[in-house]
Amino acid sequence: MALTFLLALPFIGSVIAALLPTNARNAESTWAGVVALICVVQVALLFPSVSNGGVIREESLWLPSVGLNLVIRMDGLAWMLAMLVTGIGALVVLYARYYMSPADPAPRFFSLLLAFMGAMMGLVLSGNLIQLVFFWELTSLFSFLLIGYWHHRADARRGARMALIVTGAGGLGLLAGVLLLGHIVGSYDLDAVLASGEIVRAHPLYPVMLVLVLLGAFTKSAQFPFHFWLPHAMAAPTPVSAYLHSATMVKAGVFLLARLWPVLAGTEQWFWIVGGTGLCTLLLGAYTAMFQTDLKRLLAYSTISHLGLITLLLGLNSPLAAVAAVFHIMNHATFKASLFMAAGNIDHETGTRDIRRLNGLFKVMPITGTLAMVASAAMAGVPLLNGFLSKEMFFAETIYISSLPWVEFGLPVAATLAGIFAVVYSLRFSYDIFFGPLSTDLPREPHEPPIWMRIPVDLLVLACLVVGIFPEISIGPALRTAALPVVGGVLPEYNLAVWHGFNAPMMMSLVAIGGGILVYLWLRNPLERGRIKRPPLIGRLDGKRVFERTLAGANGVARWALRFFGTNRLQSQLFLLIGVSVLAATLASWGRGVSWGERPLIAVSPIFATLWLVGMAGAIGAAWQAKYHRLAALTMMAVAGLATCLTFVWFSAPDLALTQLAVEVVTTVLFLLGLRWLPQRIPVAVPMTRRTLLRRSRDLALALFAGAGMATLAYAMLTRPFAQSISPYFLTRTLAEGGGTNVVNVLLVDFRSFDTLGEITVLAAVALTVYALLRRFRPPRESLQFPQQQRVLPPELVTDLINPRTAPDTALGFMLVPAVLARLLLPVAIVVAIYLFMRGHNESGGGFVAGLVASVALILQYIVAGTQWVEAHMELRRSRWIAIGLLLAVVTGLGALAFGYPFLTTHTAHLQLPLIGELHVPSALFFDIGVFSVVVGATLLILTALAHQSVRSHRESAHSGVP
Amino acid sequence: MEVVVAAAIGVLTAAGVWLLLRPRTFQVIAGLSVLSYAVNLFIFSMGRLSIDKEPVLEAGVPQDLMHYTDPLPQALVLTAIVISFAMTGLFLVMLLASRGLTVTDHVDGDKGDV
Amino acid sequence: MIAWLPHLIVAPILLPLLTAIVMLLLGDRRRWKAAINLGSSALGLVLAIALLGSVHSHGVPAVIGVYLPSNWDVPYGIVLALDRLSALMLVLSAIVGLCSVLFSLARWDRAGVHFHPLLQIQLMGLNGAFLTGDLFNLFVFFEVLLAASYGLLLHGSGRARVQSGLHYIAVNLVASSLFLVGAALIYGVTGTLNMADLARKIPQVAQADRGLLHAGAAILAIAFLTKAAMWPLNFWLVPAYTAASAPVAALFAIMTKVGVYTVLRLWPLLFSAQAGASALFGADVLIYGGLATLLFGTMGLLASQHLGRLAGFSTIVSAGTLLAAVGFGQAPLTAGALFYLLSSTLAISALFLLVELIERSRQAPSVLLADEADELPFPPDPLQPAHDVNLDDEQRVVIGKAIPASLAFLGLSFIACALLIAGLPPLSGFLAKFTMLSALLNPLGLGSPGAAAGMSGAGWSLLVLIIGSGLLSMIALSRAGMRYFWAPQDRLEPRLRIVECAPIVALLIACVWLTVRADPVMRYAQAAAESLQQPSQYIDAVLSARPVPNPPALTTIGEGSR
Repeated sequence: MALTFLLALPFIGSVIAALLPTNARNAESTWAGVVALICVVQVALLFPSVSNGGVIREESLWLPSVGLNLVIRMDGLAWMLAMLVTGIGALVVLYARYYMSPADPAPRFFSLLLAFMGAMMGLVLSGNLIQLVFFWELTSLFSFLLIGYWHHRADARRGARMALIVTGAGGLGLLAGVLLLGHIVGSYDLDAVLASGEIVRAHPLYPVMLVLVLLGAFTKSAQFPFHFWLPHAMAAPTPVSAYLHSATMVKAGVFLLARLWPVLAGTEQWFWIVGGTGLCTLLLGAYTAMFQTDLKRLLAYSTISHLGLITLLLGLNSPLAAVAAVFHIMNHATFKASLFMAAGNIDHETGTRDIRRLNGLFKVMPITGTLAMVASAAMAGVPLLNGFLSKEMFFAETIYISSLPWVEFGLPVAATLAGIFAVVYSLRFSYDIFFGPLSTDLPREPHEPPIWMRIPVDLLVLACLVVGIFPEISIGPALRTAALPVVGGVLPEYNLAVWHGFNAPMMMSLVAIGGGILVYLWLRNPLERGRIKRPPLIGRLDGKRVFERTLAGANGVARWALRFFGTNRLQSQLFLLIGVSVLAATLASWGRGVSWGERPLIAVSPIFATLWLVGMAGAIGAAWQAKYHRLAALTMMAVAGLATCLTFVWFSAPDLALTQLAVEVVTTVLFLLGLRWLPQRIPVAVPMTRRTLLRRSRDLALALFAGAGMATLAYAMLTRPFAQSISPYFLTRTLAEGGGTNVVNVLLVDFRSFDTLGEITVLAAVALTVYALLRRFRPPRESLQFPQQQRVLPPELVTDLINPRTAPDTALGFMLVPAVLARLLLPVAIVVAIYLFMRGHNESGGGFVAGLVASVALILQYIVAGTQWVEAHMELRRSRWIAIGLLLAVVTGLGALAFGYPFLTTHTAHLQLPLIGELHVPSALFFDIGVFSVVVGATLLILTALAHQSVRSHRESAHSGVP
Repeated sequence: MEVVVAAAIGVLTAAGVWLLLRPRTFQVIAGLSVLSYAVNLFIFSMGRLSIDKEPVLEAGVPQDLMHYTDPLPQALVLTAIVISFAMTGLFLVMLLASRGLTVTDHVDGDKGDV
Repeated sequence: MIAWLPHLIVAPILLPLLTAIVMLLLGDRRRWKAAINLGSSALGLVLAIALLGSVHSHGVPAVIGVYLPSNWDVPYGIVLALDRLSALMLVLSAIVGLCSVLFSLARWDRAGVHFHPLLQIQLMGLNGAFLTGDLFNLFVFFEVLLAASYGLLLHGSGRARVQSGLHYIAVNLVASSLFLVGAALIYGVTGTLNMADLARKIPQVAQADRGLLHAGAAILAIAFLTKAAMWPLNFWLVPAYTAASAPVAALFAIMTKVGVYTVLRLWPLLFSAQAGASALFGADVLIYGGLATLLFGTMGLLASQHLGRLAGFSTIVSAGTLLAAVGFGQAPLTAGALFYLLSSTLAISALFLLVELIERSRQAPSVLLADEADELPFPPDPLQPAHDVNLDDEQRVVIGKAIPASLAFLGLSFIACALLIAGLPPLSGFLAKFTMLSALLNPLGLGSPGAAAGMSGAGWSLLVLIIGSGLLSMIALSRAGMRYFWAPQDRLEPRLRIVECAPIVALLIACVWLTVRADPVMRYAQAAAESLQQPSQYIDAVLSARPVPNPPALTTIGEGSR
């Protein structure tokens, strides 16, 4: 459980830290420090069990069904990284306590810092590749939040987002690579992967996988050409930079390379890609660093170059180089962290980081100065400091490499060159700012920082010295432990001595130092005077600009794609929908073809043909006229509807005919009520442009296609002999078990009553929607006026008829006669409705038709007698009708449960009544009553809601004074 | 007869689709109702055509598809009619509301193209 | 005493309906309605979980509950069938529904009449669509949920809603006509409507009729894919979802999934590998259509600034991913897709709720500027900067801005949603994408040879697109998040109400739970996917169901029944 605890602790700590009050920075920092310290001790205590090749492994099930388990695994390499993460983490916490100003919100800072520490621990302790990616992305996320800590600054936002996108993208590449790796190996488990190097390197997918994995590593470790995010990440508070950008996050990439070194390394591709990238980064970073004027940016670029050095070492395919790489990971972490902190101290005390403004600080801050100079000497690779040792090993490697001749010659030269550059920027960091006349125009009066801001630097610099002077005893064991897993179990011969005698590497070091001093002296003045704005030769290539251009370009492409492949117009959408379905149907039936069947056809009757000639004419006419003459179009549609209706009659579907007819009537009334609110359209002769012509012919073509398609399908079906249908069942059971002779009606209320239930629910929902919508309906202003016909008679008209506009009951006005008739019609219509309802089960009819008839009768009252009168004289609780109808239907259905039958099972009660005799009452009857009630309620609700609009608008117009 | 019905379905569909693709709300709703005629006829025609074979049982007539037309499509059409009726009503109110909120009766709420 | 258990299957349909009825009878008592709605939705969730428990027993390949409303023999009457997939969808819709009800109580249910009944009817339609085993009954329930969705979308009225509603309704009405045509054709050829019966009959369809059958299936598929928001049939989605009120949009997060569900339910059933001459009909359409949708959605994400549109396009992205993944017809991949379906639906639903709170929390209307442009003047600096304060390059005081608690809540929730949608660690979105990709690479399970080397181009492009869309979503969402949360003005602390935050928290906690207890969920999904790929289990279960036998006629009481 030790490792699990180790991994969980930082996260728990982060949650607790987040909950502390905003201004409790002491509590915060103490807590964070304690957590970090516990972790350090924990890790340190684990050393014995990982030294000389031991591996600790804790596995807990997470997603075994897809081969993903939580495996926490610590070997030498992981141990070393864990030490760095926790140790430097502890120092950074201490440092941050004094660096951050009291007003800075502490909880966010420290909880994010701890969370990042946890993510980093998870990354190095992963024993499972997917889990590694998991924490990898987490580090990207938390570093994003940490860099953006001062999020009110645009540069912080920009830097944070750049870091997130670059490293996040790399992480996704890594995910893909790891998935491939797992596929090749057959497991995501690290041990399994490490064990199967040959298989991996031989696999055809190796190159693809390698590139993807390297994408992840290079973005994270700021390798060329992805290095540009690191300098911009310097907008973060200095403690964050000291932590993320020296010791931990940027090390994740090279850690990954070292982690997978036994599996991936040893091939040509590896040598050229990794080595090449490393070399470019090394030179580029060092060269650019020389010309920086901002302390932190200088350090950032030097970090880039040192990471390039490590990458290059790992790319050389030689175990010794790998050991050197591991060694340099540690050394760089120590001196670079201390340098960042030193830079922070200077910034904190002087108020600026501009090298050109900082001079002669040694007089006022000697201790900081000493520390900074020692650390930068380590960075430059001066003897007796840890940087020197790993750099010597590096030089040696470049010399003893065996490869193409030009490589064998070029590599040492390049290495020396990089050494020179390193000396130059180290001098700029140390000599340039600490010596010479003390600068006077600093924002603040400089002096030593508080002791606790120096302690961390002290410790780190001390480490540099100790390692540099007594390497074997101080770092030897740790290095062996860390390097063992990287080289795959067999350590190469090497000797951690300060003095190897006057050999080639020594020469190269001397050349580097000497040359560096010269170059520094040569560059010093122009840089001081700011004559060199940006590094010569390469100053033009600016990763940031490319990055932002790319993003902007992507957005542009996306917008274009949206415009080009999308639309907001309804016409285009419907065209696509219908077009696609026509296409789909055609393609689907293409290969097999749609043939006519051999069913005996019915002879064409001229009457029927003529009927449909008229019907088609109506449909086409409606299509023709719908734009300008709505009423005419409506009439012609009705003709088509009537033809449909008669077709049902003709081909023995009385129920359909009846229903269709009733629906026709109600729909027409609806339309008539609605038309009033549509704007009047005067036919204007629009010049037919080519676009319109094109569009119309396109639409016409689609319409004809669709029509032809439907006709073909219908005809193909009509001419086929009957399929093995389930219908005979209904015919045979209807009377015996459904208790009715009208099969269609029995189907509706019994066999498929579940459909009917849903259907009346739809009616109800629509009615509710309509009602809710019309409550908010605002009629357009111009249609507030009275209809033409009513406007012709002036308000002050003297007549024996009462002005219908003022009459509460229109029937007193000129509508007297029809109104009386209509009122007489009401009871008749009700009787008809009841008749239709009762016969429904055995003859054509039923609850639905009855409901429609009843509501038509009622709406007739509205039409002739006027809304006010009707509602004054009869109370119609429409929504109540709906609710009760639904309730009746459901309760009838539930009744069956009481007898142990499923929902909606019908029962027939045989009642012995006096006079009438035996009466069969199927429970379906009550269900049908429910249908009736819902239909009445819904239809009336829709119609009257529309009818009310004119009343309301008249009222409004009466108020607003619109005539 | 079959050919007439098929032709009718075809023409109704064509008219409906044409109307659906027009820019004015009234044209669209008209298209929807014409299309619903076509669809109802189409479903109906899946039961094939037969004259004087109402699916209302009569004594002494064997209960099979030789002597009665297929009742199932009729039931489906009935449900379809009801639902399309409800939807037509809803859409009508929709276009009124859209007309009230936007100055025009164009389907996209803007003056649009004629 | 009646054995209630068998009747539980129909309960998810009846409970919402009864609730709606009661609300209608209640009239204008809003508080009562709210209480009833909340209670009923909670009850529905419990019910759904109970049903899920009843179908999921380890080891057993497939437990399928069948219910026969009206009690008629199987292929003739209507059938409700409950298997793992439908149970899963029931639970999901119950969760989303409950959260949206809770959220609406803060303010939205006052924005118009009949909100609560319509929401219940919507749930009824959803549950019915998930449960039914009859093609035409499926149509009816589609209409139920659509009719309710029209009402809900228009809830609160206003120009934007009515305008987008007009388009939404028009498109869906045409789609419904297509549904009818397709279903009719299939009946005309096979003479049955029962899904299981169809699956049994399709292999025996005569060669001459197959053209018609496929035409019908294709038209039907277009209707479903329109609901599932496949490109190029999905342009209605974003305007409608953006215009809808927050709780409604959150509920709609599951609407596109209904389309995906129908594809999952019908496609492997009717056109399984055993379907003879029609085997795997239209697989390519699903795969490539899904990929196109995924691409389109990603482009949309990248191109949008407004949070609502981001949420809308994330819906499209998830729909595309699901369609493409389902199209491969491989059980492990389908299982991953089911996991993804859960995670993405919950996340998108949470995001839709969040959008409203975020929008409300900004005093200034959302400015669509590049990040660089939204600089605001700093608070004036003290003349003598305090000593332990850091200065930036221009020697201005740099002090971190503390984030108010409520704003922090919004920010954290937004980050969570973004991670879930982009499929980044540590939440379930990552696991979902990982499982899908892993299944894609190793269709026969990890470690079994072959596959990826011979993986199809479609497979590779799906892999690339899933990962790429993750990256682009991250870019888009981070941009939006920074604009909304890191924009430099010192804003007032937004006032949030518990009922508004609770559902968001609940949804996110559900995602966390998915992450932690990933394995049982994954096993469930695998079992569901397995049984989908072996339709015979479903077919046998449905066709072997028998109606309750009639008792000897109890003429004495006068109660005779079939």
